[in-house]
Amino acid sequence: MTDLLNVSRRSLFGGALAAGALAALPASASADDATADPRRRRDQRTMIGVPFEEHRTVRVGLVGLGNRGMGMLDGWAAVPGCVVTAVHDVRADRANRAADRLVSLGKPRPAVHATDRSLFAADDVDFVYIATPWEFHYAQGKGALLGGKHVGVELPIATELAELWDLVDTSELTRKHLFLMENCSYGRNELAMLKMAHEGVFGEITNGHGGYLHDLRALLFSDTYYTDAWRRKWHTRSIASFYPMHGLAPIAACMDVNRGDRFTYLRATATAPRGLADYRARHVPQGHPSWNETYINGDLVTCLIDTERGRVIRAEHDVSSPRPYSRINSLAGSRGIVEDYPARVYLEPDHGGHAWQDFRPYRDRFDHWLWKEVGDENNGGHGGMDYVLQWRVVQQMRAGLVPDIDVYDSAVWCSPVPLSVRSLERDGKPVRVPDFTRGQWMTPRVGLDSRPSAMPATV
Amino acid sequence: MRSRLLLLLAVLGLLAAPVPASASAAVAVTIGAVDLDGPAVSTVEVTVTNGGSARLSRLSVSFAGPIGWTSYPASRSVKEALAPGASATVEFLIHVPEKPASFTVRKFTATASYRGGDGAGTATGTRLERSGAPLAGLAAAYNNVGVTAESNPTPGNFDGEGNSFSSARLAEKGLTPGAAVTALGATLRWPSVPVGTPDNAAGGGRTIEFTGQGSRLVFLGSGSSFAATGTVTVWYSDGTAASATLGFPNWSFQDAGAHGATLVAATAGRNRPTGYGDAAYEYRVFANSIPLDPAKTVELVTLPGNGAVHVFDLATA
Repeated sequence: MTDLLNVSRRSLFGGALAAGALAALPASASADDATADPRRRRDQRTMIGVPFEEHRTVRVGLVGLGNRGMGMLDGWAAVPGCVVTAVHDVRADRANRAADRLVSLGKPRPAVHATDRSLFAADDVDFVYIATPWEFHYAQGKGALLGGKHVGVELPIATELAELWDLVDTSELTRKHLFLMENCSYGRNELAMLKMAHEGVFGEITNGHGGYLHDLRALLFSDTYYTDAWRRKWHTRSIASFYPMHGLAPIAACMDVNRGDRFTYLRATATAPRGLADYRARHVPQGHPSWNETYINGDLVTCLIDTERGRVIRAEHDVSSPRPYSRINSLAGSRGIVEDYPARVYLEPDHGGHAWQDFRPYRDRFDHWLWKEVGDENNGGHGGMDYVLQWRVVQQMRAGLVPDIDVYDSAVWCSPVPLSVRSLERDGKPVRVPDFTRGQWMTPRVGLDSRPSAMPATV
Repeated sequence: MRSRLLLLLAVLGLLAAPVPASASAAVAVTIGAVDLDGPAVSTVEVTVTNGGSARLSRLSVSFAGPIGWTSYPASRSVKEALAPGASATVEFLIHVPEKPASFTVRKFTATASYRGGDGAGTATGTRLERSGAPLAGLAAAYNNVGVTAESNPTPGNFDGEGNSFSSARLAEKGLTPGAAVTALGATLRWPSVPVGTPDNAAGGGRTIEFTGQGSRLVFLGSGSSFAATGTVTVWYSDGTAASATLGFPNWSFQDAGAHGATLVAATAGRNRPTGYGDAAYEYRVFANSIPLDPAKTVELVTLPGNGAVHVFDLATA
């Protein structure tokens, strides 16, 4: 991993976030160019609307078996018609532990691969799930596509614009789907909010706010939680909105981004970095490796994103300040507003008197079929939405459906990571958001607000 | 691509075999059926027919569904001019949400702008699509407890603050369960339900089955705000619909003639959560009406969405 500790703060801008090993970029994506979208190669075709080929059984390969990867293991094992056939982690003991766990669950023992490349080449894997540190996502996602696999990548799929474009292009060339494993897109409140938006409950939607506001300080300074403190080290290398997608993606869905609207411009602000150093001073003993670090990322990084249809989204990221958890989940329009944490609404003509009302009756009325038929708040991590996501991924592949989330959604949801760097480099000036669909954003199409469909029977 | 082809075929086909101009000699905009079985993206055809006497050119058509629905494109242009009697059909896409189980009406609007034709420059067409089953009658829409016994005011919540009419005070004015009430030429009934149970429909914009004929539709009700008004839509058996505003004065402290209403009964005091009180003030029931087409038969009625408009009964006059 590159050591940028001695690099000046100014030189950290310029579009280059800290990165690990990168695959070679194609010529079309070699320039980190935010002013024009690269043209599609002749042999490239869109993946919009392309269904998965039907899989009788979905054979999953897991790459990265740390906290997140292991946390999702039981879910993969539980989804009907899904079998984990391969596992890999750079720490072999973790991969072996995952294999042992599957056996203890009564599942076949998966192959333990010594390298990710070996797993990507395996002929008994249909879908690769990547849950490694951020800096490896792009190269591993691309590697899995080139290995002929569909790919689900934890947040973010990549951290550079050129990488995002390359994943779009590689998906189009390989005819395999790559998508963000955005569990919050399957949150119960988020999906109800989406259905309310489509019904027109909020009227003409004008703005939305989302983000990731999670006090991670204790975990960031833990010696065991993030392997080699990989996540804390990002705060020493880059000034960026690292991880706003949990709140941004549901708002983008409500606005039909890539399905009738698109992000156009982004501008970012960053506060001074105070939270981590102050926490370290109060809670971390002298001599801890973190005392050699200088934290440069702003505690609160805010992106304001304009859309083609005149809407504005505020996407926030703060993991280094004391505060209760929130993804905000606010959506507003000409006839009302919803806001989460706690979930509440104010909707005309039902409500008046300038007072919030309980969201629950609306959540019940607009409950998504996945929560009526699959979701269980006590089943799986993060209030059950992890399992809903896993079930839906497998169901889409088994039934041969068009994925709810595609590479274009994933790329544009992750684009604030590099675009926030660009905007901050320009003192907060707006920077253009690429159109990863290359013009197809205008056409309405169904996404996460899907039609009910069954999981194919297992034989 | 497919829509462009359809447009071309429609224009060419109708140019080859023009239909006669309509009797109204106007440009007509018609919207084809919309598949409401969502979530889905439905294709909608909009046809513009030149009923005017002159050639119609520079035709542009826009289309929109209910508020908040995404449609595409914002407008379509037709390059070919339309001879009198000819028509052109263009296609739009619209994102249709999940079909609600309850009765729902969706309104679609298309507007044509043009030169020539009937000379008006613009023409608009609308289409109302209904789905779901209406409620069996007003009683099925009762969702609010407006009347309680002084001995048990707890269930009441006419005004959102736990207050309600006193059944004893209403009885003094002849308003007992099932009693006939004559107002504005109509004979209505005070809700025939046990005291302390839902007795009025307030908000939600629900649609009920209601059969009747007359020159007006009379509502028995009251308001729980100073802005207790909302839209009532009457659906006739011939498939047409008409909307009008219905309002009631606040049950107290507002002019009894507000919103054009008529006082039916004024009772002394009300039931508060802690028991009967406010005896110095009047709490009132009103009647108000909206016009009907006397030549048509009412089939369904969509009640106001405003939860401050409380409806105890309705009847034709």
